[in-house]
Amino acid sequence: MKEHKPNCKDVMIHICDNLGEELNSSKCIEIKAHLEDCPDCQHYFNSVETTIQFYKKYNVQISEDAHNRLIEFLGLKE
Amino acid sequence: MSKELKPVNNRIFTQKKSSYLMDELKLIEQAQRGDKKSLAELVKIYEQTVYNFSFKICRNKERAEHTMQETFLSMVKNIKQFSGQSKLSTWLYRVVSNHCLMLARNESKYGYTSFEDDDALIDEKSIADWKVTPDRVTENNELKKILDSAIEKLPADYRVVFMLRDVEGLSTEETAKIVELSVPAVKSRLHRARAFLRNELNKTFFEEKMDINKYEGT
Repeated sequence: MKEHKPNCKDVMIHICDNLGEELNSSKCIEIKAHLEDCPDCQHYFNSVETTIQFYKKYNVQISEDAHNRLIEFLGLKE
Repeated sequence: MSKELKPVNNRIFTQKKSSYLMDELKLIEQAQRGDKKSLAELVKIYEQTVYNFSFKICRNKERAEHTMQETFLSMVKNIKQFSGQSKLSTWLYRVVSNHCLMLARNESKYGYTSFEDDDALIDEKSIADWKVTPDRVTENNELKKILDSAIEKLPADYRVVFMLRDVEGLSTEETAKIVELSVPAVKSRLHRARAFLRNELNKTFFEEKMDINKYEGT
């Protein structure tokens, strides 16, 4: 049973564990309070979020050739 | 004001979603009766999602195309067995994930990244404000290489969980179903994947002291 206030390491672990989840849990409220006053943890939080955003925005489009090959491969050409 | 708008928006969203699902169910039923046009339509609806997701796991366009072809071949062969208990997209994600994991295991090039020590993944010392926005990632080939290189170091089992949960936006429960793991196991993999990828990118944006502004992709 942890009664102490979270330190930076606790906060960083929590960020990786619960990014965007369980926002109203008592632990999360403590974490948010720490985050508000700690620039290092804010940077860590932002860097984890940015990492996810990078991979979210890195998309590839299927080419028309790949689509045609797929339809032919499946024998679905009209 | 938001109190008045919210239920209306939710209702419209629910109606759109349910009519979309009805259309999909109709297509599936017709495909199950052997209608090729409906099968082709289902392929058309999901090919972009499947190809993109395959690429995100394989990090290679040829392999992504091969995985996409195998995934839809599996759909065509097994559409009659599809019961509709889960969404078709969930089923397709599972086929892609299994195929990519099989390819990765056959190659057995993974395993050099040790995740035994959770604490070691949290690097308290190398903290920086990255000052970089991810908006233009697709226009910046150098940044794309950095992202590819970081994620290729992440074992495929972790990569799949990260992609399903964080990138594709599925719930932890849906992700757990697809990869056939418990919810705590998914959370544990997600935690490690996030911390690992963040550390890898931090090497570029902080430790190597590279000019992060050039990744803005002007």
